[in-house]
Amino acid sequence: LRKCLISMDMRHLEKSFQEMKRALQNKDTFQNVTILSTLETLQSTKPTDVCCMTNNLLAFYVDRVFKDHQELDPQILRKVSSIANSFLYIQKTLQECQVQSRCHCSQEATNATRIIHDNYNQLEIRSAAIKSLGELDIFLAWIDKNHQKTSGA
Amino acid sequence: DTAAFLPAPQNLSVHSTNMKHLLTWSPVILPGETVYYFVEYQGEYESLYMSHIWIPSSWCSPTEGPECDVTDDITATVPYNLRVSATLGSQSSAWSTLKHPFNRNSTILTPPRMEVTKDGFHLVIEVEDLGPQFEFLVAYWRREPGAKEHIKEVRSGGSPVLLETMQPGVTYCVRAQTRVKAIRRYSAFSQVECVEVQGESLPL
Repeated sequence: LRKCLISMDMRHLEKSFQEMKRALQNKDTFQNVTILSTLETLQSTKPTDVCCMTNNLLAFYVDRVFKDHQELDPQILRKVSSIANSFLYIQKTLQECQVQSRCHCSQEATNATRIIHDNYNQLEIRSAAIKSLGELDIFLAWIDKNHQKTSGA
Repeated sequence: DTAAFLPAPQNLSVHSTNMKHLLTWSPVILPGETVYYFVEYQGEYESLYMSHIWIPSSWCSPTEGPECDVTDDITATVPYNLRVSATLGSQSSAWSTLKHPFNRNSTILTPPRMEVTKDGFHLVIEVEDLGPQFEFLVAYWRREPGAKEHIKEVRSGGSPVLLETMQPGVTYCVRAQTRVKAIRRYSAFSQVECVEVQGESLPL
């Protein structure tokens, strides 16, 4: 079963994130709490879970984080918009895999996703969104590692 | 009051070539006055999930001329809405919105300019630098019956790339095309350029 790899301009995504990281992490009032911590424990994501986890995390950001985050600074707004629209594009390319049923979710992947949402629900919504945006580098690094054939989105 | 009613800019359109996107519109002309324009955009994400959000363009909030380079704003391969408003002092016109959303995958990709040279017996190509999103596919062959075409992927332009060590007396030909993976498209091939190294063709 051919692995479901997505093509993504990681260089641009990481650049967008780096340019807003300091501003976001300065607004993060709960420094000793993490939302994507489970991803550190998912270092050895099974190849068969990569598509599902990617999909679930993209949905987490697209359907929750970016919506819950309210931004007044146009500079930050542009960076968040750039990442949000890039994630939207990647979701579309992943849909092709889902249609070909190559995006199976194991119990482990489902549990990991639920933990992330539980972590998010523990915090007040704006704080949770800020923290999740500040942890985008964890997700981007995980994507980079698990989608080795990345180059442009 | 000359600007009691400030008309909204008209005829918005986007001209995009090689991933450079230029928004243009018809200027609002008020004799003796300088009219400025504000450009804003929203990607598909904003239009789907937060349609009230419009983002000030990186370079044109405000701008004086009737055009705006929105390349740094259009950073994903999804449809983007664009709008322009004219201002004069404290007066602002209504917003004028691009009729059809713009997606960068509609950009015109032109065949790359290239320079094919000889460095001693080396066949060398230098393709124009079109930016970090551009890669190039170079095809080269010996101009003789039954010759096989060789392919080389060039990751970025702007620097010489060695293709092959040439045999004296043989003509070598080259053509190239641009590739942009971010939009999954490539250009037509360039014109063919051929070079030859003088001298006796060595006996096999």
